[in-house]
Amino acid sequence: MRILYYVYIVAFVALVSCEKAVESTSLASTTGKGGSLTRFTIAGNYLYAVDAHFLYTINITDPAHPVKAGQSDLNFDMETIYNYGSYLFVGSRTGLYIYSISTPSSPRLVGEAKHARSCDPVVANDTASYTTLFGSSTCGPATSGLYVHDVRNVQTPFLKKTIPLNNPIGLGMADSALYVCCGSEGLKVFSIKDAYNPVLIQTKPDGHFVDLIPYGDLLICRVNNGLKLYDISNRLAPLFIKEVTN
Amino acid sequence: MLMRKALLFLSVAIVLFACFKPIREPRDPNGYNPAIKVWGYKPVYSTETLAKTIAYIPAVEPVIREGNIYAFGNYIFQIDPGAGIHVIDNTTPASAKRIGFIRVRGCSQMSIKGDKLYTNSYNDLVIVDFTDLSNVREHSRVKNIFPEFREYSPIAFPPDKGWYKCPSMDSLVIGWVMDSIPQQCYYQ
Repeated sequence: MRILYYVYIVAFVALVSCEKAVESTSLASTTGKGGSLTRFTIAGNYLYAVDAHFLYTINITDPAHPVKAGQSDLNFDMETIYNYGSYLFVGSRTGLYIYSISTPSSPRLVGEAKHARSCDPVVANDTASYTTLFGSSTCGPATSGLYVHDVRNVQTPFLKKTIPLNNPIGLGMADSALYVCCGSEGLKVFSIKDAYNPVLIQTKPDGHFVDLIPYGDLLICRVNNGLKLYDISNRLAPLFIKEVTN
Repeated sequence: MLMRKALLFLSVAIVLFACFKPIREPRDPNGYNPAIKVWGYKPVYSTETLAKTIAYIPAVEPVIREGNIYAFGNYIFQIDPGAGIHVIDNTTPASAKRIGFIRVRGCSQMSIKGDKLYTNSYNDLVIVDFTDLSNVREHSRVKNIFPEFREYSPIAFPPDKGWYKCPSMDSLVIGWVMDSIPQQCYYQ
């Protein structure tokens, strides 16, 4: 229970700092926001990077002199990294791995949820993590879909629900909305008011969606041949604003 | 007895001969044969210093490969894996547009904190100052921190499917041109 309380505090701080990142960019300590397919993430004074075999921890307190603080020797075929509060969620071809960065210089593996081989970006909050698994000839045989894990206890992520989807790739969430890119099928908008039971609200077949960033009231989508921007003041009803073509 | 041995030898020889058919021609599109020349991609190399030089181009550059996106302040960035980072002005989303390109050869990832952009140029971590778009420059660098990012750099592979000349790993590839090449590596 105490851990949960702590997670809530961290989550609150993280949310507050996220808001700042959107509103004010003049502060030297603000970070931006990446899509879900990234291998780089900055939390506090550390840059965390994953290649297929290693998790690198780099101290960037002094950007003029970045220092490598550590390199994990774990081999998970890692593909994506996502920071939430004092945790790193690492998506790999074999499972979801959760690292604690309560000691930022040395991430510690605290939980994992293995799955069939596949490609999988992940986003998370203090109650749930959402992973898209994309089974294919290069990624592995897993059933393609959205996988929802209960991560209230990060040591034992528990699979709560699987929603089959064709070609799901990048994803992101804003409050009670979860956005999932489904390639040429379009952008799927789920309500996650009930965190463990996402409900499909609508599909926007506006292009070939690959990845996205919910950025305040703006949803930035990477599609084939450009970007598409949506107004998500109404979280569950994205309104098309602009296409930036290549 | 001798006859039986001779027969055995003969059958083994026939089996072996069947296995080692001379491969003058590929039996399938993946039949590698460096002796054969085909039309395909050839790597263009550069010196390490030139390949890893950071520059800002205040103009719209063509997108070669579409990579990860990143949002910071009034900007959206999109990685062009292997080539650099496209900069999109998002001050007013309704009129968002591409405005420039940060040349970071060999890059594949990025993140931003404060006025510093963290990316990779091949195997190096590069920190780029972009407080002012008219003065984008390298701030610092940690060499060879990501060995895998060099070996599997997107630019180490040709832009299209097909035969290509396997790049030499002791050099830095900065691009590809079409030429007559040995049927050596196949990209699919």
